[in-house]
Amino acid sequence: MVEVTVADRVLAERVWRDRDEAAFRTLYGRHTPALYQFVLRVLGGNEHEAEDVLQETWIRGVDRLADFRWEASLRSWLSGIALNLCRSLFRRKDRGWVTLQVGDEPVVEAPHELELMDLEAAITALPDGYRTVLVLHDVEGFTHEEIGARLEISPNTSKSQLARARRAVRIALVEHGTGTRVES
Amino acid sequence: MTSDDHTELTPQEEAAFAALSRQRAASDVLEERTVRTLRARGFLSSRPWVRRPLVVAVGVAAAAVMFLSGLATGQWLGTQTVTRSMADAQAASAMERAVAVQRAGSAYVRALEALTQIADTSTDGAVAQGREAALTALYAAVNELVLLAPDDPVSVTLRDVLEWQRQSPSATQLTQVRNVVWF
Repeated sequence: MVEVTVADRVLAERVWRDRDEAAFRTLYGRHTPALYQFVLRVLGGNEHEAEDVLQETWIRGVDRLADFRWEASLRSWLSGIALNLCRSLFRRKDRGWVTLQVGDEPVVEAPHELELMDLEAAITALPDGYRTVLVLHDVEGFTHEEIGARLEISPNTSKSQLARARRAVRIALVEHGTGTRVES
Repeated sequence: MTSDDHTELTPQEEAAFAALSRQRAASDVLEERTVRTLRARGFLSSRPWVRRPLVVAVGVAAAAVMFLSGLATGQWLGTQTVTRSMADAQAASAMERAVAVQRAGSAYVRALEALTQIADTSTDGAVAQGREAALTALYAAVNELVLLAPDDPVSVTLRDVLEWQRQSPSATQLTQVRNVVWF
């Protein structure tokens, strides 16, 4: 059987024009795994919060679908919505997002289960601001200019935050014997 | 960022980042929750096919075929005396009734074809009356089809369309000649 992949744009048009549930479910199935992993990583592994953010991402996305200009991919656009929701969550919970641009070396908390201490756990243990920049740059592949635009910070700030985040990750990995110490 | 910062990723670190998973399955519950919320806010319809013109057109066409069957039944019964019709109806097998429906449907179509042939030349109201009779019969037949299969979306859609037409301003013109009762 030949599997026919319908373009995102066609499916999206069916969703906003016809309110087609089947088209939405196709889009949902196509993009949710990547969005969920991204959101979960930015939020430091909190599945409950990640699911709430993901649901709201889709709701806002569908609501604004008619206005989407298709100058970027649908997934990129949705990840932008998700990122903004994550930032709102950080602000609401006062989880230190404001320390993004200034501050001393981050304090990296040890993970709850040391045997699972690996790169993923080291990222999870980062402060929200550092973790966000690290995920966007080193995992998702955004440039500092793109990160600056998305987070409303300067590219230089993004660079400095990334440097701090990487140092913190290395410290965490070295402490648990899985990394290589880099003298700084 | 430069290498002097000692924050450039080593090849091993780059490989480690690249190996991180890019996807994770979310729960099915989340999908259903999201869909329910979108429905509740009017962003999704549980019956999107109603809004798809092509689907509606196909549905109407299919319903028209079924209508002929129902219509033929009524026409056949209308040619009999009440007693004879009732007796025949009770005695007839399912196959006999289906055959009768088919024959009456064919007769109905032929009658409409004959009417169509004179539609361009006739100036009196006979054609309009004939059309009105056909539509009235169509509506009655579709109602029977809905009674026959209440859950059939095609029959229900066609009935809704016809009811809408009967209630629309253009339908008023039809009611002006609705003195023709065909059975």
